[in-house]
Amino acid sequence: MSNLTLEACAECDLLLNPKQVAPGEICQCPRCGYRIQQPRRQSIERTFIYSVTGLALLAPANLLPILGIKVLGNIRDGNLWSGVTALFNEGMWAIAILVFLASMVFPALKIILTLLVSGYLYFDKPGRYLATWMRYLHHLEEWAMLEVYTLGIIVACVKLAGVADLRFGYGLYAFIALLIINCLLSTSLDPYSFWRRIRQMQREVRHEVH
Amino acid sequence: MKSINTALANGLMRCHDCGWLSRISTHGSKLEQHENCHCEQCGSHLHSRIPNSLQRAVALVMSGFFLYIPANIFPIMTVTKFGSGDPHTIVGGIVALMHSGMVPIAILVFVASILVPLLKLISMTILLLIVHHRWRINGRIWARVYRAIAFVGRWSMLDIFMISILVSLVDLGGVAQIIAGPAATAFAAVVVLTMFAANTFDPRLIWDSQEEYYEH
Repeated sequence: MSNLTLEACAECDLLLNPKQVAPGEICQCPRCGYRIQQPRRQSIERTFIYSVTGLALLAPANLLPILGIKVLGNIRDGNLWSGVTALFNEGMWAIAILVFLASMVFPALKIILTLLVSGYLYFDKPGRYLATWMRYLHHLEEWAMLEVYTLGIIVACVKLAGVADLRFGYGLYAFIALLIINCLLSTSLDPYSFWRRIRQMQREVRHEVH
Repeated sequence: MKSINTALANGLMRCHDCGWLSRISTHGSKLEQHENCHCEQCGSHLHSRIPNSLQRAVALVMSGFFLYIPANIFPIMTVTKFGSGDPHTIVGGIVALMHSGMVPIAILVFVASILVPLLKLISMTILLLIVHHRWRINGRIWARVYRAIAFVGRWSMLDIFMISILVSLVDLGGVAQIIAGPAATAFAAVVVLTMFAANTFDPRLIWDSQEEYYEH
């Protein structure tokens, strides 16, 4: 267990002595400049609260109409799911699946996994699958593309603005709220301290067993 | 030979998921033999460097280059108004935005769907060449380039999301309809492949390739 006293940079593999870093400060790798630690104040509590809020917003953001148009008396409303089905019905199943995953499945999974991890840590309960959830979260992160989807909505609005009347649904407000929660989540969740806490808990459990 | 103080040089390897340092097992010195080791903290596969990182990244980048061609030649969507179709390529869509006076949005789409994928493919190629030929470079700068590639890649999905919104909304039978074209699939594949390439490429290799220059 002598390994505990050292750590390595994730991007250049340089062996380092772990530093105690105060919240708000950044610890960078001296060789490559990678941000090794960036501790946040009350990381666990804030992440937990944000992910509860995110969970509540998931259903309205996914089900309510986000954007609609009105042309010559015809009204059409769309949400995340109708974009997927429209692509699928045209035979573009590959993109349909990609859009479905990146705009609905992965953001939802991200919120649920964050809620599980931060909930266990918040209530100080050692969970068997904590490490597994953290790992999934780490790999999932960049495939949940709500921010990119928002830009897509904006560009679509601009393209449609000249030819049709736009209607904004309640889903849009829920969607934007979810987007903000997502941004807050990525600033509050500090993987470094989460992993440290998980390891600490696993060690405590092992001590109790022996 | 003096070597830099990396985890690998000290017989340690860092778990790619949780950051835990493990001792490289003594039976066998080849990196490939560690593929069956698991991190004792999180259970993830352990390896000092991502296995076959270069080969896999080269394959993904090359496929990205090839698919970039159909993505720009074929129409990405067809706008049908009162029965007459009007196919748009990616560039055509940007030009149309410019003509309607939406220059900032046109620049946004240009950056997201033309500049970013192309710059990403080119800089990934240069990174792979640097590692393969052990060119002498400034590691800090290229580490930053790699970070930029990894960060910016997903934003190219903008065009695909926009198409999915337009296709679902503008479906008014004979009056107006928007249909996604074959370039959309190719373009989405370019984005996904380059994202995979950035994930497969191990940034530690940049620093490993510079090791011989440190003694001087």
